[in-house]
Amino acid sequence: MNVDAPKRDLAGAILNRLTGFWRPLRNLSAARPRVNGSRSLLTAAEFQEELAILGLSGRRFEPEDYSDALGEYLDISITVHVIPDSWYPELSRLLALSGRLGELRYSEQLNLAAIFVPGSLPPLVLTLTILHELGHLAAGDLLIEPDEQFEDDQHAEQTIFATLPLKKGKKLARGYPFAKESLREREANLRASYALFAGCLGDDSPYAHDMYDVL
Amino acid sequence: MSAAQHQALVLCSVSFVAFIFFLCFLLPLRRTKFSVFAACNLFFVALMFGAVALLDLSGGRAEIMVAVLTELPVVLIVAWVCLALAGGLHDRLPAEPVTRRPWLRRTLGSAPLVLLLSVGLATVVGLVWPSPALRVYAPAPPQFFVLKGLIMAPEVLYSGFASVVFVMAGLAPGLKRRFYFKNLAFSVGMACIALIALESTVFAGLRVWLSGEGRRAILETLNTLEACLAISCILAFAAGLSLRYTPAVATTLLHRLQTGWLHTQEQFESLEWQAVSSGAADRLTHASNAVVEACRIKGLSESDTQKALATIRLVAVMRDPSSETQQITPDAARKLYELQEEILCDDVLASKISWAAGWRSRADEPQTVKSAPLHDALKAALELVDNHGKSEGVRTPPLWYYIVAVSAADAKMIDPTHLSMQLRDGAEHRAAVEAYDAAKRALQLFEELDAERRLREE
Repeated sequence: MNVDAPKRDLAGAILNRLTGFWRPLRNLSAARPRVNGSRSLLTAAEFQEELAILGLSGRRFEPEDYSDALGEYLDISITVHVIPDSWYPELSRLLALSGRLGELRYSEQLNLAAIFVPGSLPPLVLTLTILHELGHLAAGDLLIEPDEQFEDDQHAEQTIFATLPLKKGKKLARGYPFAKESLREREANLRASYALFAGCLGDDSPYAHDMYDVL
Repeated sequence: MSAAQHQALVLCSVSFVAFIFFLCFLLPLRRTKFSVFAACNLFFVALMFGAVALLDLSGGRAEIMVAVLTELPVVLIVAWVCLALAGGLHDRLPAEPVTRRPWLRRTLGSAPLVLLLSVGLATVVGLVWPSPALRVYAPAPPQFFVLKGLIMAPEVLYSGFASVVFVMAGLAPGLKRRFYFKNLAFSVGMACIALIALESTVFAGLRVWLSGEGRRAILETLNTLEACLAISCILAFAAGLSLRYTPAVATTLLHRLQTGWLHTQEQFESLEWQAVSSGAADRLTHASNAVVEACRIKGLSESDTQKALATIRLVAVMRDPSSETQQITPDAARKLYELQEEILCDDVLASKISWAAGWRSRADEPQTVKSAPLHDALKAALELVDNHGKSEGVRTPPLWYYIVAVSAADAKMIDPTHLSMQLRDGAEHRAAVEAYDAAKRALQLFEELDAERRLREE
């Protein structure tokens, strides 16, 4: 995933600083804020809450519906480009050699996110790759300033991981994005698999039931 | 026995019967945190009213304390329900309508704090200005109305909100009938609590300001109304709690599928795609072109052609010694096949789990574990690689399988001498060989023509 960040002027820098002061105050009113800088990986139940916010909980949906609802919620335009191998034969080879299956580009200036996937991907992998990239958008992974000083002193058995605050912009997830890239990727995979099953099962999903059976 | 003791006895009996009903019928049927909490609450209420009925606690500050304690269980029920709706209980999701309305979530989440604070404030008012709180029909000073109002106003508000949220949840489009009735029952229960609280406030006001002939009759009518509402409330909650629904797919099974089958299939397919796309399995291109052409010559369906193509790709990748394909082994293929078979054993699950054949291609039939080419391809590839074409069971393999076997043997992906006799004898095999030879000749001709065209262009 790549981000095209806009160039900032002095006024922008001052505004950003003011936003930084405002953020802790704004978080006081959040329903269940996680501002302590760490959290665990997304659970299926937490993902169901995200679906409810998008109006997709308990409904059968396709990745297209998820993309449209997410774009509407985040107020950005999300386009998915499935590139046939005949158009650009090198894309599949280059992605395959780099060990990736798709590419996400995000432009803050244009309010636009574009996902590129090769058309030769098997259908299930294509679906999961698109959902994976959409998961990055939902998590707000593109709205952080990656911390190059971040030291990975986390252990394998740990379940709580460090997070980073957002620069600005809107995300669907409640928690902040993880500081460590591998965890962001892992969570995007989780979101993709949760989305696939939730979309297939609709109102047969046990997590969707829980939202209508609170007592 | 005074009127207050008589009323307490009635309420004690109602609460005790409800407690026994919960204990004997509801808890063994469905033990949720709320049902346990409600049962404990009912027992506490029965004890409190029993104490009031048996002992004369009227007079002074003790009367206030007992009055507040009898209100406490209802206050706690309202606080618990609001917190549950807001998703504030451990490991529980909020109600669906609340999730989309952060203000409603904050409001409901504040219920325990506001309700307990109001009870505390009412206790202070009662202790500073004692009033005949337990003497039901006795005239009361205005402080009594303040005491009641402090407890009842937030109770009306929060139980009213909760009732509306249950209605909203129950009216969600496409909801299962059982959830509709369940949420409706809880909504009626919470509406009853709101009405009891409202009636209680009106009752307190009448005790303060109403006098004259009809006073007693009006108060008695309101008391009867309260008892009816209390019984309706308990019955509604009992009905709501007794309505059970077992989801078609259990959470544990879903978790197993996510971490087991989906993870394995995605890994397998993406690694195979990477191996093929990066050119690691370089023997594949010619073989797969010939297979597709042979299928076309024999007029096979698109589905069978895809299965044949998937099989030849799998055989090529499994037989390729390069490092890019080392994770795609017959063992990995067998593991994935077994996981797929596990899903196919569950009819509900197998019919529900599907994925689109392409992006925004709603016209195409979505793929399922059964219909996706990979399932049959795994079986066929394993038979060719491991069993040298010995098909399990007595079923005759389809024509596409013969074409793949001939192609794989020709491309030296499998040893032709080890192909079973079963596969080499018969009309299907001869037809596959003919089609494959014709396909190879056609491709060779096409390549020659292409080379000539390029030469002319240069």
